[in-house]
Amino acid sequence: MIEFEDLLLEAYNDLVRQAKDEGKYALGYTCYFMPEVLLNLPGCFSVRLRAPRSASPDMATYYMSGRTCMYGRALMERALEGGFNFLDAQLATETCTVTCRFQEHMQMMPGLINNPNFFCEFTDVPFKKNDNSILHYKDQLQAHVLDVLHEKLGVDTSDEAIRKAIEEQNEINRVIREIGEFRKLDNPTITGFEFALCQLVAIACPHYLILPKLKETLEDLKTRKPDPKPGYRIKVVVAGSENDDPYFIQLIEECGARVVADRYCYGSIPGREEIVIKEGETALEAVARHYLTTSQCTRFMEQHIMRQRKETLAGIVKEYKADGIIIEQMKFCEYWSYERMIDTFVLRRDYGIPVCSIEKEYTNGATGQLRTRFQAFIESVELKKLQSEQAERGVG
Amino acid sequence: MKIIFKIIRIFAIVFAALFAVFYFDLDGKLLYYVYEPLMCKHYDNIEGRRNIVEIPYDMKEDIYD
Amino acid sequence: MAEERMTKMSLSEKLGYRKGDLKNFVKYIADDPKQACKDFIYGKEHERRNLGDLYIQPTGLYRHREWRGLKDTLYYFTCVWCYTYGTMVGDILTSEKPLSFFKGLWRYRWVGQTYIPVLHWYDRGMEGMRGPALRASAWHYRGMTYSTIEQFMRMFARDLRFNDGKETELWKKTVLHNETVSGSVFYPFRDGGLVDIPLEMIPYFVTCHVNSNTVLHYIDAIQSLGLPSDPCPMCQAEAGVGIMDDYPDSAPCFVTTNEACDASVATSIIQDWFLNRPLYAMPQPMQYDDPLVQKRCQAEIEGCWKFVEEQTGVPFSWESFKKYAELQNEQLYFEREKWDVAARTNSYPINGVAQALYRIYYSQYGWNKTWQVLDGRVRKIMEECVTKQIDTFPKTRHRVIAWSCAPLYYSNWCTWAYNCWGLNTIINMDSLMFDKEIRTDTYEHALEDLSWYNELAPMRAMAVGGHKHIFQLWDYMEQFNCDMVVMYDQLQCKGMQGIKGMFEDEFRERGIHAIWFPHALPDKRTVSRAEIRDCISNYMIDVMHEEPLDPSLLDFDDSLTW
Repeated sequence: MIEFEDLLLEAYNDLVRQAKDEGKYALGYTCYFMPEVLLNLPGCFSVRLRAPRSASPDMATYYMSGRTCMYGRALMERALEGGFNFLDAQLATETCTVTCRFQEHMQMMPGLINNPNFFCEFTDVPFKKNDNSILHYKDQLQAHVLDVLHEKLGVDTSDEAIRKAIEEQNEINRVIREIGEFRKLDNPTITGFEFALCQLVAIACPHYLILPKLKETLEDLKTRKPDPKPGYRIKVVVAGSENDDPYFIQLIEECGARVVADRYCYGSIPGREEIVIKEGETALEAVARHYLTTSQCTRFMEQHIMRQRKETLAGIVKEYKADGIIIEQMKFCEYWSYERMIDTFVLRRDYGIPVCSIEKEYTNGATGQLRTRFQAFIESVELKKLQSEQAERGVG
Repeated sequence: MKIIFKIIRIFAIVFAALFAVFYFDLDGKLLYYVYEPLMCKHYDNIEGRRNIVEIPYDMKEDIYD
Repeated sequence: MAEERMTKMSLSEKLGYRKGDLKNFVKYIADDPKQACKDFIYGKEHERRNLGDLYIQPTGLYRHREWRGLKDTLYYFTCVWCYTYGTMVGDILTSEKPLSFFKGLWRYRWVGQTYIPVLHWYDRGMEGMRGPALRASAWHYRGMTYSTIEQFMRMFARDLRFNDGKETELWKKTVLHNETVSGSVFYPFRDGGLVDIPLEMIPYFVTCHVNSNTVLHYIDAIQSLGLPSDPCPMCQAEAGVGIMDDYPDSAPCFVTTNEACDASVATSIIQDWFLNRPLYAMPQPMQYDDPLVQKRCQAEIEGCWKFVEEQTGVPFSWESFKKYAELQNEQLYFEREKWDVAARTNSYPINGVAQALYRIYYSQYGWNKTWQVLDGRVRKIMEECVTKQIDTFPKTRHRVIAWSCAPLYYSNWCTWAYNCWGLNTIINMDSLMFDKEIRTDTYEHALEDLSWYNELAPMRAMAVGGHKHIFQLWDYMEQFNCDMVVMYDQLQCKGMQGIKGMFEDEFRERGIHAIWFPHALPDKRTVSRAEIRDCISNYMIDVMHEEPLDPSLLDFDDSLTW
């Protein structure tokens, strides 16, 4: 785990360096809608961009103002500092405004990425999950990912190559899934922080180099004994907008809650399901269908999908035997500011789930305030648990 | 002829009165100082509005795709 | 501060009477009777108007309305003031259910608080204007007023609240849609009796322009439920109207879209909750000029048509679509003619605010007879101006292009900027949207073009799909012969904020004078009108080293105005 922590300290980590040294192309992306699997075709590897250890993004604030989400600005700042110069390409999506603008800067600012062959290509992602949208998405992935990778980098993008990439992706997904299963135990043998490390290294490092280490971790976890006395007071699900900071999860856990599920951007739910190629489907069709239908992104607009998101979230709470849910929203994230508000009402009212609703920054700045919020939430949930236990026993 | 003069006179009086209202922005002043505050008070006290947080949020079928 | 000032004002001050006014007036006539006579007949010259002295601060009311010379004052009194009040009554009386107006007025804040003081909206937009510019701009305002009355009367006639919850035939044949879904999508059903109502256009959008106080209740309402204050305030207000239960319940179904931004998508979730009825999402692709997305976008429009048929029982009619699309094309051709006159001559008779509002209003709402009639009248005025080479804005010092999304509570800033500084806003970003004619030779062509038309919707066409669109500013500057840019710095627009630095760099490199002013779309509390004026005045004084045309407009308090 310490090695994983080290790997997450910078985007251009040792494993990324090693893969680059081996002549592989580093392909950056920011969003789940850019299928990781397609960026791990032969000769290249995916890096989901993060800006760990970010301080104040002053230069980026000049370009993107102080009124945009700090995730986008922190990435921009890191790019301006030269932290993403290792990238050979950015496979971009216009899925939320600020990350889109950041990636547009990558496209239009000469020298932002100091790599003469660097390019940035945008994919359009639909807002629905119907058949028309899957076709839309498939066409986009073909034209703006596969064709571009083939033409510019000579990557093999044949159906066979994609099938192989799917197999490899399924393997890493299976390992992460299995690691995540330990969170479902009555007394989980893995902390949310540890799981976050596993999930994040899997998206921030070349798959072929991180997979053996993840497998090793899985084996270790199989023999790990649960603490006789749980080191937490309640179990929670964390849902919300972008979070690639394992120390945010650690902060919640330090307050006494065990994070048992991660339904946020950069989390594993969704993201680690098996990609199934149905009969008669091409590999690309399967990828398009998989990523569109598994996504729980708040930008989906169909009525039944908007409403089903709440049900899904309640289902996760039940599946992971959590006592409550923390809805986090990155400040200035418009999608999640609304979703958080509605979730806060609906999950409480219709599903009886205690909700802690918070707004946060990309960097873990307001730690004191957050700690107080979490502690208060944990106490209130504990109190409710106690009251319901007493009611069951007929006390009072 | 008398009627015509009468009509012209009435017209002239109405015209002059309306022009005074227009020119001295009396319509604006009435609406601003009297009408709007009264109406706002009324709107603030309307009862029986649906409370959104009490509206059901049921699942819907995917019937249109 | 301003509220305190108001409470301390005496009645005569509130009415705008100042000690010595009468004496000064008599002295003015006595000093130079010839000049006074000239002023009476022709109006004062621009530099002597002192328009700022007409205000009762901080209310924005007038001590007295402006004397524009005999002819223009009589025109404004009879053909604008009397005519508009008259038609307001007439339009209501000739609507489907005239009495429902009073129910609506009593029930909905956005009607009662907003539409009664509509004449002040005219006054603010046309301050200082004379001759053909006054006449042509006024026609645009009248068109918007008529259309507004038509829409809210339609809403009230169908409102379940006013019909004891009875689902009337009118209600059944109506579809509500997001205001950013163009009315053109519903052309195929118009001749079949379907009425489409843009849900937020009247309760939210138009109110902001007419009475900026109304919307504040709605913004507060949504924030009181826990929404942070940083998302786009337009979307906040749209959601807030729903939270206050202030949308008439006037149709069995709703069509929504992702235009213009992330917050619009998110608002749909709230709208779905309080409407709680069948909803069809008709999103537009973000990378909209990618040829690959066109077919998919068209399929969504066809999906919408199917939805409307199923929900309302009104069948799709190609003939109906064709008819209205062709009429819409005619309107677009005239718009292009107007742009041509604005770009090449000094005879364009429409001021910045009338141009912007009318264009966005009619293109979003879709074709109707009123637009056609009014365009005919404006055409006559414009042709006269061009033929006689009338300089419609003779005090123009700079030809301005206004870019990005405009402050709704101060859309008349350009009237002020012309009067005070001679900054003539020739064109603005929103006017340039929807620049697409619809071919009607085949169904396929029509669908293709309609899909494009919707992709070119306000804000969106420039703000998404790549920076190249927003940077079309340079081409338009050249096309419209503009020498200055006014950049709207909408503080909560993530799309524009996210590219601010690149604009700064480009302005510097290209040597373009750009005045940035911040605003918060409908929320005047974030940035006041006075702050906006200060931004412009400071630039004109400190950078351009120019003197104001009318110094009385430099500093005045209108913080409590509508």
